[in-house]
Amino acid sequence: MAEAGFVRAAPLSVGEKLARLAWPLVALVLLLGLVGYALLYSAAGGSHTPWALRHGIRLATMTGLAMVIALVDIKKLFKISYPIYGVVLLLLVAVEIVGEINKGAQRWIDLGIVQLQPSELMKLALVLALARYFHAAYLDEVRRPLFLVPPVLMILLPVALVLKQPDLGTALMLGMIGTAMLFLGGVALWKFLAAGALAAAALPIAWTQLHDYQRQRVYTFLDPESDPLGAGYHIIQSKIAIGSGGLWGRGYLQGSQAQLSFLPEKHTDFAFTMLAEEAGFVGAVAVLALVVAITLAGTAIALRAESHFARLLAAGVTCNFTLYAVINVAMVTGLIPVVGVPLPLVSYGGTAMLTVMIGLGLLLNAQVNRDTPIPRFPADP
Amino acid sequence: MSWSALDASLEPPDPALSRGRRRLVLVGVLFVALFAGLGLRLLHLAPEERTAEAAPEPAPVEPLRRRPDLLDRRGELLATDVPVPSLAVDPLQVGDPRRTAERLARIVGGIDPSVLERRLVKAKAAGRRFEWVAHRVSPAAERAVLEAGLPGIVLRTSEHRVYPKGHAAAHLLGFVDIDNRGLAGVEHALDHGRLSALRDAREIALSLDLRVQEALRDELGRAFREFRAIGACGLVLDVRTGELLGLVSLPDFDSNLGGGARPEQRKNRCTGGSYELGSLFKVLSHAAALDSGRVRVGQRFEIPPALRIGRHTIRDVHPARRPFTAAEIFSHSSNIGTAQMVFAAGGAEPLRAMLGRLGLFERAPLEILEIARPQVQKSWPDVVTATVSFGHGIAVSPLRFAEAVASLVGDGTLVRATLLKRPHDAAIEPGPRVASRRTVEDLRWMMWLTVADGTAKKAAVPGYLVGGKTGTADKPGRGGYRRGAVLASFVGVFPLDAPRYLVLAIVDEPKATAASGGTRYGGQVAAPVVGSVIARIGPLLGVPPSDPAVEARYKERWSAMRPTAAVATGGPRLAALDPRR
Repeated sequence: MAEAGFVRAAPLSVGEKLARLAWPLVALVLLLGLVGYALLYSAAGGSHTPWALRHGIRLATMTGLAMVIALVDIKKLFKISYPIYGVVLLLLVAVEIVGEINKGAQRWIDLGIVQLQPSELMKLALVLALARYFHAAYLDEVRRPLFLVPPVLMILLPVALVLKQPDLGTALMLGMIGTAMLFLGGVALWKFLAAGALAAAALPIAWTQLHDYQRQRVYTFLDPESDPLGAGYHIIQSKIAIGSGGLWGRGYLQGSQAQLSFLPEKHTDFAFTMLAEEAGFVGAVAVLALVVAITLAGTAIALRAESHFARLLAAGVTCNFTLYAVINVAMVTGLIPVVGVPLPLVSYGGTAMLTVMIGLGLLLNAQVNRDTPIPRFPADP
Repeated sequence: MSWSALDASLEPPDPALSRGRRRLVLVGVLFVALFAGLGLRLLHLAPEERTAEAAPEPAPVEPLRRRPDLLDRRGELLATDVPVPSLAVDPLQVGDPRRTAERLARIVGGIDPSVLERRLVKAKAAGRRFEWVAHRVSPAAERAVLEAGLPGIVLRTSEHRVYPKGHAAAHLLGFVDIDNRGLAGVEHALDHGRLSALRDAREIALSLDLRVQEALRDELGRAFREFRAIGACGLVLDVRTGELLGLVSLPDFDSNLGGGARPEQRKNRCTGGSYELGSLFKVLSHAAALDSGRVRVGQRFEIPPALRIGRHTIRDVHPARRPFTAAEIFSHSSNIGTAQMVFAAGGAEPLRAMLGRLGLFERAPLEILEIARPQVQKSWPDVVTATVSFGHGIAVSPLRFAEAVASLVGDGTLVRATLLKRPHDAAIEPGPRVASRRTVEDLRWMMWLTVADGTAKKAAVPGYLVGGKTGTADKPGRGGYRRGAVLASFVGVFPLDAPRYLVLAIVDEPKATAASGGTRYGGQVAAPVVGSVIARIGPLLGVPPSDPAVEARYKERWSAMRPTAAVATGGPRLAALDPRR
C-alpha cells in the first residue's frame, strides 16, 4: 500500500468488487420484493398465478442484472452517460411518432419479460447525464447562469415529450428528479426560488391557453370527488380498506375489501392499500420503514462517494426509488390525486421494477467505486 | 482503504463536494420527514383501533338500523330493507371441523368444504370465537342449518337492501355496499349529503313517477340500441314544480348489483356529466336576444354562407338561401343566424346575463351528489359569444339545461329541479323572473314552429301541442372537435298552450341507420323518442288535449310571416341569390 499512486490506478478485480458490495442493501431490496410476492399471492386469493410467480421470476432476473451493472467499470459508465441519454431521448421521440401514427396506444417497447416505457428509462438516463454534467463542473462555473442552460434543457426536453403522451405522473417525476439533481449539483438556492416564482406566475397565463376539455381534465384531477363513481371511487374504497385494517390488520388473505374485489387495482397501484388492510397499521409502517431504510442506505452511499459522478448517480437513483414510494403511498391514502404511480418492488408490473433494479445496480456501482477517482473529462489520462 | 483516506486528507477539501454533501443530508432529512408524514396519515385513516385484547371477541354488530323505504310519487316501492340471516360459527364450540364444514358446504353451496375446514381449524387454534361462513343465506338454508343441529352455529340477521324494480331508476336510487351504506344516488345522499336529515324517516316519497320512468327508459333504450349509441340521457321534468318525474341514463345497471356495475354504467349522464349541447342551446340564446328588446321574432336577418369572426369561420350545415326571420333561424337551426341575432341584441352581455340568471354557471343543486360542474370560458370575445349562442364552448349538465328551458317556457320564472315529492297542499312559490311574458310567448311559438314546420317534425304528437328544439352537437376530442361523433338531442315541452312537462332526450354518439334516413341529426334520432314518450305519458298524467284555438292562432301567426312574403319584400338582389324562389 506504500505506492499509493499505482494502487489508485489499478482497477478493482471482480473479487474485490464483490467484497465491497453493499450486501445489506441488496438484502433490504430483496426483502421488499418478497413482501410484494406475498401480497400478490394474497391479491390472487391465495394463488401463485397470475401475479406472484411472475413477480418472483422478475425479481430474481433483475437482481442478477443489478449485480452485473454493479460490476461495470464506473469510468465506462461515465463515458457512455451522454450516449445513453441520447439514445433514450431518441426512443422517446420514436414512440411519440409511432404513437401518432397508430393514433394512440403504443407508448412502450416489448422486451418479452417486461414492456419497457422509454419514459421510465429516461429517469435513469437523466440521472446519468446530469451526474456527468455536474461532475465536470467547478463550483464557480455552477454559479454562471449560462452554465445552467444545457442541464435545464436536458430536463425540459424529456418532460415535454412525456407530457405530450400524455403522462402527467411520469413527467412530474422526471421534473422532480431533475430538480433534485440540480440542487445536489450545487445550484444556488435562490435560483430554485426564482424559478418556482416564475412558474407560479406563468401558471395563470398557461391556464388561459388551455382548451376547455384540457381544463376539465385538470379540474377532475384536482377534485376527484366531483366524480365519486369514477376516479373518486378508487380513493373512497382505498381509504375504507386502510381504515378497516386497524392496528394489526384483518390477517393475511383476510382483507374483505381486497378479497371481495371492492378494491380496484389491488395488485398494481393499490397494493399498499391491501397491505394496510391485511397487515394493519403496524404492517404498513413496517414496510414504510423498509423503504426508509433503503432510502437512507442510498443516501449513505452517496455521502460516502469521493467523486461527484458517483455521488450524484447514487443520489439520483435513490431519489427515483423514494419518489415512487412517496407518491404511491400519498396517492392511495388520498393525500394527492390518483396519478398512476406504482409502489416499487411491491406492485405487480415490470417497468417500475426494471428502473428501480437498474437503479440499484447503479447505486451498488457507486458504492463499489466510492474511492475510484474519475477525471473531469474522459479525454484526461 | 487507508490510502484513499490519506489522499483525501492531503488534497485541499473540495468545496463543491462538501456543499453537495450538505445538500444530500438535507434531501435525506426531507425524505424521512415525508415518510413520517405518510405514517401520520395512516394513523389518521385508522381511527377505530381494534386492540389486541378485543380481538378474541367479535366486534359487536351494528344494531339493526333500517334505511328508509324509497317510494315513487304514487307510493310504488322502489327500495326497502329486508332482514336476511347470515351464517357464522363459534369455532371453539365446533367439535368436528371436518363434519361441520362438509355439512355447511352441502346446505349453503358455493363453499369449498376443505377451505372452510382449514379456516375453522385455524380459528379454533387461535382461540377465535367468531368466523363468518356465508353472508346472506336463503330462509330455506337457514332452516336446514338449524335442523342439522350442529354445535356452534351462529345466525345473525342483518338488513339487506332490495330494489324490487332492479334497473328501473338505478341512477337516481343509487346502491349500497354489503353493509347497507349508500354508495351512489339518493342512497349516498341519505348517508352523506343533502338528504341526511331524512335518514331516520320511515319512508321517503320521491318525485319520480314509475310509469313515466318506465316509458322513458323504454323509448330511450330503443333509440340507444337502434343507433348503437355509447350512452343516452332522458328526463321528464314538471315545469311548474320542478319535480323530476323520470330520469334515465343509459347504459344503466341493476341497483341490487350496483357494486358490480362498470364505470360507464354507473355514470349518471343526466346530472354527472357536462356536455356541449349544441343547437339545443339556441332556446337560451334566442330567449336572451328576444328578451333584450332589440330583436323581434319577425325581424329578418341576412344569412351569408359563412360568417367570419377574426380568424374563425362559422358555417351552417344546411346553408340558408334567403333571409330568415328570427323564428326561421330557430326552427331551421341556423348557427350563423343565431350568432347574428345575439350580436344584434348587444353581443356577449345580454347572453351572459340571461345564462347567469338561469344559473348555468353553477352546479345544479339537486339532492344527489353526482352533479357535474359546468365549464364556461372566463372571457367572452366575439367568437366565444358566437359559439356559445349555438351551444359550443360551454358545457353544462343536461339537468341544468332542462331547468333553464323549464324556467323560460313555463312562465318565465326560475325553476329548480327536485327529487322529492312536493306535498299536495304546498303552494308553488314562483322563483325570480328570468324573462318577460312576451319572450315566453314568443319562445313557445318558435318551439311550436320547430315541430310543426322545422327540424323536429318527428316529435309531433296528435292531440297535444308540442314545442321543442333539436340539437346535433359535435363532440370535442383531443385538439378540436371529432369528426362524426355527435350528441343528438331534443328538448320538448307539452302541452304548449299551458306547459306542464318538459321531456329531454340526448343520445351520445348515435351511428347512422336506415331508420334515421342515414343521418344522425337530433331531429331523426332524439325527436322521435320525445314524441313517443309524450304520446305515452300525456294520457297517463291526465293532461287534457290541447285547445285547437291555440294551434289555429299559432298557424295564423306563422302564415303572416311565411317566407313567400319574404321574397316579396326581400327585393331583387335576394331573389337573384336563389333562382328557385
